[in-house]
Amino acid sequence: MGTSPGRREESAIHPGSSRHRDPVRVEVRSLSKSFGAVRAVSDLSFTVEPGAVTGFLGPNGAGKTTTLRMVLGLERPDTGTATFDGVAYPDLPSPVRRVGAVLETAFHPARSGRNHLRVYCRAAGLPVTRADEVLAQVGLADAGRRRAGGYSLGMRQRLALATALLGDPAVLVLDEPANGLDPEGIHWLRGFLRHLAHDEGRTVLVSSHLLAEMEQTADRVVIVGAGRLVREGSLAELRSGAQGSGAVLVRSPEAGRLAEVLGAAGFAVAPSEDGRVTVTGTTPDAVGAQAFRAGVELHELRAETSGLEELYFRLTAGQEQYAAPQGATR
Amino acid sequence: MTALVRAEWTKLFTTRVWIGLLAGACVMAGGFAALLTGLAGQEGGPPPVGSPDYEALALAVAANAVVFALILGIIGMTQEFRHRTATPTFLTTPRRGRVVVAKLVAYALAAVPFALAAVAVTVAVVVVYAGARGAAPSLTGENAEVLLSAGLAIVVYAVIGVGLGALLRNQVGAIVGALVYLYVVEPLLSAFSATAAVYKWLPGGALEAMTTTFRGPQAIAPDLLERWQGGLLLLGYGLVAALVGTLLSVRRDVV
Repeated sequence: MGTSPGRREESAIHPGSSRHRDPVRVEVRSLSKSFGAVRAVSDLSFTVEPGAVTGFLGPNGAGKTTTLRMVLGLERPDTGTATFDGVAYPDLPSPVRRVGAVLETAFHPARSGRNHLRVYCRAAGLPVTRADEVLAQVGLADAGRRRAGGYSLGMRQRLALATALLGDPAVLVLDEPANGLDPEGIHWLRGFLRHLAHDEGRTVLVSSHLLAEMEQTADRVVIVGAGRLVREGSLAELRSGAQGSGAVLVRSPEAGRLAEVLGAAGFAVAPSEDGRVTVTGTTPDAVGAQAFRAGVELHELRAETSGLEELYFRLTAGQEQYAAPQGATR
Repeated sequence: MTALVRAEWTKLFTTRVWIGLLAGACVMAGGFAALLTGLAGQEGGPPPVGSPDYEALALAVAANAVVFALILGIIGMTQEFRHRTATPTFLTTPRRGRVVVAKLVAYALAAVPFALAAVAVTVAVVVVYAGARGAAPSLTGENAEVLLSAGLAIVVYAVIGVGLGALLRNQVGAIVGALVYLYVVEPLLSAFSATAAVYKWLPGGALEAMTTTFRGPQAIAPDLLERWQGGLLLLGYGLVAALVGTLLSVRRDVV
């Protein structure tokens, strides 16, 4: 068996050039899926636009992975459709060239990362040189010849991402790609996804259960809870709607007086013993202004949760599969 | 489809499973050939070196390598589920039946050199050892037919392995089940006269039909199919398992 590529079935790919890559819109319409008595996804509809990073947010067990697997034709929905410019994934003529996906970070432990990629080059009729190109793109060039069984979780995430990039696809669908990445890796991923969407015009759908992760990456968010759509929109829209609904932490040597002053001014105040006061439903600016007017000395003033986080908690409250009792943790 | 078959070969040759199985097949074939030749002509042992019965019997031991081809096929299919590579595989090829067909073709073709190696080791051991004991067998006529059948059986068992893997998906379960069936269940079935009639239609009976060298009195001859019938029956088992596996098992949601 030779290693020379069968030219008949392959065509070249020019990474980075967007000429050949038409923007593709992903449309999810009325998807539902039950596993036995458990309704994992209920009548879920949303749209993912090209040229932007769309965050698919929801607590664990909200049905994110099930939705993505249905979008990619790995599970059959009970009802509904998911299409890429009108075509369902299994009907795409060359799916790998249109859509790249990261769902699993599992690999054959004895096969090297590079050989793993070469397998899918062959299966998709891509030149095997793409394996080395995508390895370099995700920063794994030096580890490519090592057995994937010895990779760290972060390296597995990068290899999975490299697999998704093989066909230079117009759409990327990534399930929790930041899991297991170190802070440097998360920073890199954030920049990489934004580059793929903003500079190269790709459609990027990325799921996460952490809002903080998405706040700095996503342009739009689709929030789900218990298998249903909770909110869909741009992060800016969401942020302005959530303005002033966060929690503010204040530390003062005159905590008692501060609590009185704020309470008299109509703030929702919860004092604690060690000189701290928590004020909810407002911004640090408003609290600071009030304290200044009353002449109360402040040693610390900061937003404990942003309005957006507060909104996310509220939207998805009680919808975790194994929700902790109210107030036990946050 | 060519691309998918090549992808399967890349999967096969980028891990080392095949080396161990090939070595096992060669050691098993060569070992049995040596044992049989060493015992040939002894009281209660195989027929003496130089007799046609001995030669057919000794050359047919190559067929013992079928078990390694079977395991090769099982691993080829079930590794996708065991190591969860089924997800990228089915993302690349959403029509899952095409993946199964590619594996059947890829493993049948990969089993050809595998079978040649097992047959070559058998021939080498028999020719050298029996030659040293007086009479090296010729490799023509019925002897050649025995070798060809043994080789074909090895190829067909690789196909059966892929089919079985598609049906069961669980690697350890499929291998253990296949071994228990081949070495425990079938010998029992063939031992009882009540079930012996069924045995000839089972994979073991079909394999025996392909490679049998029995030339004793007609009255005690085992009831078996013709050689070609046995081969076709075995191939049928493999393809039916693959078809049923594709319809019932492979198309199920990948967890």
